[in-house]
Amino acid sequence: MLPSGVLTTNYESDMAIVRTKTQWLLLAVGIGLLFSVSLFASNYWLTWLTRVAIYVVAILGLHILTGLCGQFSIGHMAFLGVGAYVVAVLTSQLGLSGWLCLPLSGLAAGVVGLFFGLPCFRLKGFYLAISTLAANFIIVWLMEHFQWQNAEGLTVGGSVGLTVPRLTLAGIDLNSKSAFYCVAIAVMLAATFFAKNLQRTRTGRAFVAIRDNELAAQISGMGLFRYKMLAFFIGCFYAGVAGWLWAYSIRSVNPLQFGLDDSIWLVGMLIIGGMGSTTGAFFGALSFSLLEEFIDRIRPVLEDAFPSMALQLNVALSLGVFSIVILIFLIKEPRGLYHLWEKFKLYYRLYPYAYMRE
Amino acid sequence: MDTFLGALVEGILHGGIYALLALGLVVIYKSSHVFNIAHGEIMMFLAYFMVFLVSSQDLPIGLSFLLVIAVGAGVGLACERIFLRPLIGKPMLITFMVALVMGILIRSIAILWHGGAPQTIALFPSGYIRVGDLSFSSTLVWSFVIALAMFLLFMLVFRYSKVGLGMRCVAEDHQTSQSLGIDVKKVFALSWAIGGSMAAIGGVLLGSLTIVDSDTLGLFALVRALPVLLLGGLESVPGALVGGLIIGVTEILASTYIDPHIHGFRELLPFILIVAVLMITPHGLFGLKRIERV
Repeated sequence: MLPSGVLTTNYESDMAIVRTKTQWLLLAVGIGLLFSVSLFASNYWLTWLTRVAIYVVAILGLHILTGLCGQFSIGHMAFLGVGAYVVAVLTSQLGLSGWLCLPLSGLAAGVVGLFFGLPCFRLKGFYLAISTLAANFIIVWLMEHFQWQNAEGLTVGGSVGLTVPRLTLAGIDLNSKSAFYCVAIAVMLAATFFAKNLQRTRTGRAFVAIRDNELAAQISGMGLFRYKMLAFFIGCFYAGVAGWLWAYSIRSVNPLQFGLDDSIWLVGMLIIGGMGSTTGAFFGALSFSLLEEFIDRIRPVLEDAFPSMALQLNVALSLGVFSIVILIFLIKEPRGLYHLWEKFKLYYRLYPYAYMRE
Repeated sequence: MDTFLGALVEGILHGGIYALLALGLVVIYKSSHVFNIAHGEIMMFLAYFMVFLVSSQDLPIGLSFLLVIAVGAGVGLACERIFLRPLIGKPMLITFMVALVMGILIRSIAILWHGGAPQTIALFPSGYIRVGDLSFSSTLVWSFVIALAMFLLFMLVFRYSKVGLGMRCVAEDHQTSQSLGIDVKKVFALSWAIGGSMAAIGGVLLGSLTIVDSDTLGLFALVRALPVLLLGGLESVPGALVGGLIIGVTEILASTYIDPHIHGFRELLPFILIVAVLMITPHGLFGLKRIERV
């Protein structure tokens, strides 16, 4: 429901994402604020925000794949890893420019995603989920078992991983936390722009039709296989781009960063945020990272309270809390925070005429 | 030749155990259409429980095995009642996701309780059984025997008892069963209880074969059960046995002949098998091809 007084008078205004002058103003101020954070925030919070931006990009890919097209992927972190490894190998071993690697890492992850999406030719639903689960392990296994000697005779790859050289743009070093934060935000905004617009195109509508009813979509003349593969490619392309950001934000990659648990948390973030909306991706990444932060703060307190269990708490606390939160959302509110937000918006726009909701 | 024969027999022995791992998943999937991907983690949890009973409480092995099976049934019931009962009728991907996250929750509980340190179970006296030139660890042989016995017991119950008839009926159609007077929810609970006790047996057997470790045991079990299931067909009980034997033999043969050349290939193989089976025969050898009608 639109705010009172916003009227649709022509087709363009009906299709517009940003509807009113106030919204344009808020958007501009919001983006300005996002970038200006880099001027005053501490390194700790800049790193945190960069991580959130990376999650948002990855979840947007998952949102296109799962939220729009209805195909599950529980190997998304591994596709992200493919992107990160492509950057690491190409820049540190072959000396390619980091910026050239941005599309390359996306493409590489997309192609790998296409391969593991192949079973969707004949299958749907959770068979595909199992295929991507296998993909996660196969990719991590490959990362662990490929190692070679570099020019200086050091062993790279394998379980040691690789380090990523500095990112520069026209002679400016983008390695500082604040500079890289701006890069991450820019990539995130571009990704959001694309995802938001994809939903309104023919392709996006085909994705939604396939999610809602495959049979009906096929009867309407959509090539199921083609669109599903396209969804896989775009979703994994996003993961690859997120991997590019990941590689440069941490400056080293190793197989441990891309485990199955992290893939499950990515899907969890999508569920917490709400499937099928770009805003949901933001809600999911933000609330999950806040939860992570909260657990980090509360862990020392708990370790002091139960010193005999300090070692277990270190591992089990985050696993337990994350899984409980995701389970609560799955059982109680599978449409996620975005749905709650919509309900709240409806409530205050109609206040005090609550009965208008029908 | 001896290497080949040895590997073949060892593969069959492993295959029997894998079939038992997969059976627990088949039972639950058949009746309630929930793909219980947390099965591996439940196994790990129960294997730790076995360690707890044997080493901390000093109970005899036989008694604690029975206790663990009972507790396994309880864990299965609890999972069904708390997490899956509210989701009856929801899309399968939601229940799949719930099961996946439930597995992580169970793992975190196991780590909290036992510290996640690797443990061992000595279920059978160690030693080797020799047949001609070949020798097999007696733990493996005994585990195979127990797994096969449990498998046959379940098949008999499923085929000839009234409870089994009810379960088969529910597997066919929920609504029809309900109108015939079968308590579908009770059958769900029962199949989860059976699945849980299968997890207990499988967990203890696997724990005695390898080590009980919170990081690896659950994954090991799940990763073996998945290709078995997919190859045999998700709804098929005999399929689990056939699939188990095929996967077991393939794994041991591959690890005998390929592992020396490609290090760590044995860990990778189940995943390659999963992807290959999904691409080549997605519904498995004995699975049902569901035809959607408008």
